[in-house]
Amino acid sequence: MSTTIRSGLSRYTLGLPLLLVLGLLASNADFRQPQNLLNFGGQIAALLIAALGQLFVTLLGGIDLSVGAVMSLSSCLLAVQPDPLWGVLFALGLGLAVGLLNGVGVALAGVHPLVMTLSTATFLQGLAHVVLPIPGGRIAPALTHAASGTWLGLPHSLLWCGAAVAGVAWLLNRSRLGLHFYAVGGQARSAYLNGVNARALVVLAYMACSLLAAVAGIYLTGRVAAGDPALGSAFALESVAAVALGGVQLTGGAGSVTGVVAGALSLGLLTNGLNLFGVSPFMRAVLTGCLLLAAVSVQRRRIVGM
Amino acid sequence: MDHPQAGQAAPRVLLRQVSKRFGSTAALQQVSLAGAAGSIHAVTGENGAGKSTLMKLLAGVHAPDEGEIFIDGVAVRLASPAAARRLGVSTVFQELTVLPNLSVAENLCLGREPLSARMLDRGAMRRQAEAVLARAGISLAPHRACRELSIGEQQMLEIAKGLAAEARIFIFDEPTAPLNRAEVDRLERLLLALKAQGKLIFYISHRLEEIFRFCDTVSVLKDGQHVCTQASAALNPDRLVSLMVGRELQQLFPPRAAERPGAALLHARGLQVGEARAGQDLTLRAGEIVGMAGLEGQGQRELLRALAGLARPRAGSIELIDELGRAHAVQHRHGAAQAVRQGVALMPEDRKAEGLYLDLPIQDNIWLGRLRGTRLWQRARRDPALITRLAERMQMRSAPALAVGALSGGNQQKVMLGRWLASGVRVLLVEQPTRGVDVGAKAEIYGLLRQFVAEGGTVLAVSGDLPELIGLCDRILVLRQGAIVGTMAGAAASEEGLLALALQERPAQAGIPSSQVQEA
Repeated sequence: MSTTIRSGLSRYTLGLPLLLVLGLLASNADFRQPQNLLNFGGQIAALLIAALGQLFVTLLGGIDLSVGAVMSLSSCLLAVQPDPLWGVLFALGLGLAVGLLNGVGVALAGVHPLVMTLSTATFLQGLAHVVLPIPGGRIAPALTHAASGTWLGLPHSLLWCGAAVAGVAWLLNRSRLGLHFYAVGGQARSAYLNGVNARALVVLAYMACSLLAAVAGIYLTGRVAAGDPALGSAFALESVAAVALGGVQLTGGAGSVTGVVAGALSLGLLTNGLNLFGVSPFMRAVLTGCLLLAAVSVQRRRIVGM
Repeated sequence: MDHPQAGQAAPRVLLRQVSKRFGSTAALQQVSLAGAAGSIHAVTGENGAGKSTLMKLLAGVHAPDEGEIFIDGVAVRLASPAAARRLGVSTVFQELTVLPNLSVAENLCLGREPLSARMLDRGAMRRQAEAVLARAGISLAPHRACRELSIGEQQMLEIAKGLAAEARIFIFDEPTAPLNRAEVDRLERLLLALKAQGKLIFYISHRLEEIFRFCDTVSVLKDGQHVCTQASAALNPDRLVSLMVGRELQQLFPPRAAERPGAALLHARGLQVGEARAGQDLTLRAGEIVGMAGLEGQGQRELLRALAGLARPRAGSIELIDELGRAHAVQHRHGAAQAVRQGVALMPEDRKAEGLYLDLPIQDNIWLGRLRGTRLWQRARRDPALITRLAERMQMRSAPALAVGALSGGNQQKVMLGRWLASGVRVLLVEQPTRGVDVGAKAEIYGLLRQFVAEGGTVLAVSGDLPELIGLCDRILVLRQGAIVGTMAGAAASEEGLLALALQERPAQAGIPSSQVQEA
């Protein structure tokens, strides 16, 4: 089936998280503790949401390095805005505006995605420190509850993940927009000649990416219950890593929500497992880098194209 | 609303005084063209004459700089391919626009996907695809991924896609280049059915036989200007060629070599490629052009590419003989770079992807051939005089600083040929020497190849175009399942004879010869 070819999934993509889970279950008693599983869900939710945003952009062969900065600035806005509703609206509005800027820069002005999103990332990161120089501020209890509470025994983090996964999966698999994403990612000029508005789609992809980054920022701010101008600093690259681990082809045209979930799970499990074993976070970075390289080397790199 | 031809029924399509410039080149100058409903209207001319550009105005890809476009008497603005499609213009573009990561059904429905409850209706998509494919007589499974399709299958899919649209006007831009004869016949029936339904079909082709077989009207363009529009019944092939070329074309093929071929330049012994069961011997001699014929996919391409150092043969050895008569074994692990250094060059079929540096100017594309055999740190000399000489010899009028990507197919082919002519290689391996090249440039390319061997080189050419092989080659090898099953002298060869050899013992496959329709 063609859908499996462009999903970018392989046994490595899906096998890695499975292997990690089995390994951790067998080797570490703490891993199975409900408290740890709860922690784990909370840890990966933000990464998963941000990586789902990154999926839109990478499907079109682009990359968005401003994901982390959008998260950080969202966090700062929430911290300085006394009304949580306005805070959330500001953050979402910020996401849409940044995405529009990135998208217009890439699609209409022809700026390379790396340069375009690196510029906005730098700009927004500076702005975040201007808005909130040091971590702190007051986060509304409602927001903290929304991120860390439980509902019918289920942690809210799971609901955030579920909603993001369902939304993005619906869009990519069931809407015509989704098909157009794959078409433009496969070959933009051909898609255009077939009547697809390729430029508008690029703008939409960056807007979706930044919007989801803002959502990830809102979630994470509620979870840590404080504003932090460096909240998202690791997320630009981690979201790309999750997408790459999930078998998404960075030149565009192939990738899937399932893959991104697998990628985010793998990164999360690695972090969680190494924490449990008391490995230093620096060593963790070393291992993550090696894992990423290993995982990407066994993938087929050109899925689209003949 | 504007009625350009008050008093009588407006033509289905009227392009009035349209002009289009790309940078400093005028692609179209004040061209007017009318197409009537219920007509198959051929648009022809040499490469670079502006046929594709003209059709792209109607397809919504380019907007005209001047002039107007009317559909059924109404002035229209076609801002994008999607807009043109909404106005009933369906286009099969010359470049394949099949998306490799989509299925056959998805490709067929792209841009007009069936929806139910605002979601993609995949069931309806499959049914629509099945219906369209059945109508077009194409046996492709709707769920197949298009990256697996051959070029011919992709082209048939393009055609099916064009037919699937509810359109009043159909544009087919050189749809038959990669098709075999059976497929061309099928396309002809489809076009005639559309004509009977009162549709207007613009048909761009270089193939004169197709034009005279099923087009009722012919418009000729030359250098971006409209030459004439006539009923095809009022023309004959010679007259049409002279209209296209703007002069009487004396002879398509140069005379064959008068002398017997000279010393061997390349020996292949026991060469086994692809699905071949036995090794093949082959010798190429100075002064001869050797052709390879056969059904599509019988190992011609693999054999040629093994000689070029691109593919590793399963068995066998290749030996090159240098100017001093010394033999050098070709080591396949050194690849194409060594082959080029030893004087063997390949002109690939897909010149855009494999043969040329599209973003580099003409002169750099040619100079790069001159660097053959020089050391990496050696100064790369530029030689404007060489470019001038070559341009004159090849009758190229483009500025040497122009990017190759901007040239027409014929001129791109000449640049690729020019590179190897200038580089001093002795063995030239050519895939499809004139695919997508107009009649005038074809004659020039044949002449240049003949001149190359007359100066001591040798050419091995693979072509699906049998008349081309017969007219050009001194000797034609016929391949079947990777084996050379016969050799014919070019002067004595006939299409029937070659086909009989190619088909022998394989009656089940008869009727789908790889040969293309005869030209000129």
